[in-house]
Amino acid sequence: MKLTKRNANSSANQQGVDRRAFLKGSGIAAGGAAFLSLLPPAMIQKVEAAEGHRHAYDEGEITKVRSVCSHCSVGCGVVAEVQNGVWIGQEPSFEHPFNLGSHCAKGASLREHGHGEKRLKYPMKKVAGKWQRVSWEQAIDEIGDKMLSIREQSGPDSVYWLGSAKHNNEQAYLFRKFAALWGTNNVDHQARICHSTTVAGVANTWGYGAMTNSYNDIHNAKAIFIIGANPAEAHPVSLQHIFRAKEKGAPVIVVDPRFTRTAAHADHYMAIRPGTDVAFVWGMLWHIFKNGWEDKEFINQRVYGIDDIRTEVAKWTPDEVERVTGTKEADVLKAAQTMAEHRPGTFIWCMGGTQHTTGNNNTRAYCIFQLVLGNMGVSGGGTNIFRGHDNVQGATDLGVLSHTLPGYYGLSEGAWKHWAKVWDLDYEWMKNRFDQGSYEESGGKPANPMNTKGIPVSRWIDGVLEDKDNIAQNDNVRAMVLWGHAPNSQTRGPEMKTAMEKLDLMVVVDPYPSISAVLSDRQDGLYLLPAATQFETYGSLSSSNRSMQWRHKVIEPLFESKPDHVIMHKFATKLGFADQLFKHITINGEEPLIEDVTREFNKGMWTIGYTGQTPERMKLQSDNLHTFNKTTLKAEGGPCDGEYYGLPWPCWGTADMKHPGTPLLYDTSKSVAEGGLTFRARFGVEHDGDNLLAEGSFSAGSQITDGYPEFTADMLKKLGWWDDLTPTEKVAAEGKNWKTDLSGGIQRVAIKHGCAPFGNAKARAVVWEFPDPVPIHREALYTNRRDLIEKYPTYDDRRSFYRLPTRYGSIQKQDFSKDYPLIMTSGRLVEYEGGGEETRSNPWLAELQQEMFVEINPADANDAGVKHGEQVWVDGPEGGQIKVMAFVTPRVGRGVVFMPFHFGGHYQGKDLTDKYPAGTVPYALGESCNTVFTYGYDSVTQMQETKVSLCRIRAA
Amino acid sequence: MKIILIALTMLSLTACYEDTDVTIHEAGVYKGKVDKHNQTSEEREAILAKRFKQVQTDR
Amino acid sequence: MARMKFLCDEERCIECNACVTACKNEHEVPWGVNRRRVVTMDDGLPGEKSISVACMHCTDAPCQAVCPVDCFYTTDDGVVLHDKDMCIGCGYCLYACPFGAPQYPQEGAFGARGKMDKCTFCGGGPEEDHSHEELEKYGRNRLAEGKLPLCAEMCSTKALIAGDGDIVSDLFRNRVIRRQGRQETWGWDTAYQD
Repeated sequence: MKLTKRNANSSANQQGVDRRAFLKGSGIAAGGAAFLSLLPPAMIQKVEAAEGHRHAYDEGEITKVRSVCSHCSVGCGVVAEVQNGVWIGQEPSFEHPFNLGSHCAKGASLREHGHGEKRLKYPMKKVAGKWQRVSWEQAIDEIGDKMLSIREQSGPDSVYWLGSAKHNNEQAYLFRKFAALWGTNNVDHQARICHSTTVAGVANTWGYGAMTNSYNDIHNAKAIFIIGANPAEAHPVSLQHIFRAKEKGAPVIVVDPRFTRTAAHADHYMAIRPGTDVAFVWGMLWHIFKNGWEDKEFINQRVYGIDDIRTEVAKWTPDEVERVTGTKEADVLKAAQTMAEHRPGTFIWCMGGTQHTTGNNNTRAYCIFQLVLGNMGVSGGGTNIFRGHDNVQGATDLGVLSHTLPGYYGLSEGAWKHWAKVWDLDYEWMKNRFDQGSYEESGGKPANPMNTKGIPVSRWIDGVLEDKDNIAQNDNVRAMVLWGHAPNSQTRGPEMKTAMEKLDLMVVVDPYPSISAVLSDRQDGLYLLPAATQFETYGSLSSSNRSMQWRHKVIEPLFESKPDHVIMHKFATKLGFADQLFKHITINGEEPLIEDVTREFNKGMWTIGYTGQTPERMKLQSDNLHTFNKTTLKAEGGPCDGEYYGLPWPCWGTADMKHPGTPLLYDTSKSVAEGGLTFRARFGVEHDGDNLLAEGSFSAGSQITDGYPEFTADMLKKLGWWDDLTPTEKVAAEGKNWKTDLSGGIQRVAIKHGCAPFGNAKARAVVWEFPDPVPIHREALYTNRRDLIEKYPTYDDRRSFYRLPTRYGSIQKQDFSKDYPLIMTSGRLVEYEGGGEETRSNPWLAELQQEMFVEINPADANDAGVKHGEQVWVDGPEGGQIKVMAFVTPRVGRGVVFMPFHFGGHYQGKDLTDKYPAGTVPYALGESCNTVFTYGYDSVTQMQETKVSLCRIRAA
Repeated sequence: MKIILIALTMLSLTACYEDTDVTIHEAGVYKGKVDKHNQTSEEREAILAKRFKQVQTDR
Repeated sequence: MARMKFLCDEERCIECNACVTACKNEHEVPWGVNRRRVVTMDDGLPGEKSISVACMHCTDAPCQAVCPVDCFYTTDDGVVLHDKDMCIGCGYCLYACPFGAPQYPQEGAFGARGKMDKCTFCGGGPEEDHSHEELEKYGRNRLAEGKLPLCAEMCSTKALIAGDGDIVSDLFRNRVIRRQGRQETWGWDTAYQD
């Protein structure tokens, strides 16, 4: 008995395989295997997960399906082998431009998603403390009735819709629209607690808040600067790109409080005290300005406000930098000099920079550093901000956020009217869906909740627990929908437990029960609805480099789980707005057609160019991966000739314009039509009498050879370009601008004349609307450097910020450092992702990291009297305590302890195994470090502070 | 008594006999099933060399 | 004749464990059995280095020399395999192996040591290629499919290289030349100064 259908060639067109070898290789593979996209969907049958049964080669035709890994933002291509509807094999996708077949531990174990033995298998609810299986219909009915009654009593803002970076783009967009039609801005997702400070800081510096270049473009870097990031564990495949530059001679500099696995591969590693990024960056700039290493021409042409930066930087003498950050002058100078002498250099950061009360200051300081060296808008340079989850970029872009509608349009009346038009809905009807009261002022006038920022995910617990008179909405949050969210990734665990218990209704929509199912002592009113993974549905996602990729469906949803968009359809039907939500979207049975959703957001996402990426274009690219250059990402020949892989946004105009996507943001060496760009004119044309537009700098082929504001209908008329519009475009464009013209005509004409639709301005080093216009150092709320508080105090407490009182100074003025002497910080492990429920339920991963631990320096361990491998208690200053294993290592400096945040299932020394529904307990459980992590939120975005707090260690 | 002792001694000594005909271990000579393949080793080598190029591309 | 070899480029290995889970995935190796693992030296110290280790498919394999039942053989590709039907699970090969490659799954209610299991270089075993018996006893046979070991094919940084020893060393030599002898690990240049 011998039959094989697995052939060695994962694509019809392989480099390096000659015809004879191909025949030999596939001679054993009669017929070979076709990719799913070439086969009718009926080829894939629904199956039960067959546990313990190994599928051999001869049990049926094997189909290869292309998908994309769902574990991080790199977007690695996956080739799944499916037989009789069962995912039986996983092959490397060598032709994929991002990963060339490579994976990390998580990506290499993706096939376990097709087993899913620990999955939540059917809808469940808690009745008198016991889990009970219910039908989908019953669950939706009961939840819906309860929500409608809460809406009746307390208004729509009392139901909180917490979405996910695990949605694909279509689901993310639908989720935001869903919340809008329910009538609330209380909708948010993980981006709030991962890169919200990046998005705010970076977008306010030069226009867009995203990675400017790409992982692949790092090949061209002459130097690589990594601060507050550990890509060797969080984005392992990115190291393939980093090593490529490094092996060509680019020095790698790593700045981190902890000697990470990334630092182990650096040329130059420096430890800084957690939370002193601004001081460190200004310390480098001090040397750069002193030695005249700045790029003067670039600054003159393209940067506003650098003089204010010089003034601030002048205060950061080497002595002061060492006093604050703990880093010696020689090290700081070496880093600055290396970056100055190796241009262009790239600048990489992650959560180590963003998750602070001053996160927005950090991200802006990083950007300013790159502007000063003239590293922006060039291949090999840029701010390569590694996003977290696979589709956190997409979910951010599509506005699963409490402060904006899709496409960063904001919440103004104009923004709502724009989307009402795209959705073909009556604006007045939409307005009436919201609470008509007013609880805060905007610009001196009372503002309606429709136009005020909702409660962010980082603070949902305060939405429940805070006295309702202090919240800028009608009532507390009473119902919580946690849709693809791990609560253990959020700080203040004990308060979260209380909040969960106070809610009237708690609904969890997730492939796994998650910590939400077990943390609280709720006896009733807790529902678990099984969601399908991204391998059980299809659609697009946006990777970190703004590339949009298409995932094909690998298997049918396991057990009774359903894809997110199907669940949204069920809820919308029950809640009475399905007709409006799906007005122009085909429904097959109960499944909204994904392609129709893509086409709908294509119609409205003009701000960031999500308009040219139709399902057809994305699918065509997916079928022609091998034609893309592995460094430039540009297709060389083939049906996608000239396009960049994933049509990285902005992909301007309508799809008919065939814009190739923008591989590098703000790169003036190319014309806009070919992916070039200028800095966005987002902040007006002048400030305090200074010109904000670019001077003498413009993108290749621009017919305006200087700075210019963003395009409007009027501007086209003044330029004499109005008649370039077609008669239909003219009708749509009249009175509109590049963001609101639904015909795309204004964008088309601007680009035809070589101009960027969003204008050509300077990047700004000073963000005058922010609490700190010039980024400055401020000590963390829980700091043990009491000597620095007077000079570098935190902010004053705020009365209403994202609807909630927010504390700063009142916490910092209390001295916790005597009782809690150690600085506590957190981070990732390669084996797990996020709250870890999914990855800890994967035996191939869980086996590698079975126990929660705390890294302690040998000196601190000796001081505390604890030994390596022993159990210890970690006490936090807000009263939380966790029992974990001591990992004594010099990896962390003296005075600093580190914990991973992926664990859950233990709570303050208690094992919660009994609280899981039967058969769903993950393979690895442990204390969540966020049980001891504390209060602290960024002054612009409400990002949580997880990188600096205090703790005490004692033997257990 | 002596006879009994002699008999016991004889009996116990019988266990000390060594049979030199047991299976003798010949290190390194494989005794299991033969592993056969469809291709010759040269064919396999060529196929795998091609595959190697596919795996280890320009990085 | 080809001689299959693994080489782990320690300048590139980042201890991401993709090789370990790729192996688990491809062969459905049970919990507790590790055909491959990543070893880190000087963990957390300057000069920290990791390498991925499995059976090295030795030319003069010590396991083969000591096996009391002679269940080991070397294929034409230079891969060291064994016949599990003959293996008695004695553990002598673990004694002999310089790399700790042999693994013994627990079998039965008393956790008795089962037949030895180890890396097959994704080459199956002495059953008919692609048969159910081969799959159950040894895992997938990628070599017979014209593919190389999945651990190396999926390595995140292409640190782990698998293939004919000659081609592997050619590739690696080019890498070393490109790096111009520069050490890739932080602290290494100062580690032996004294």
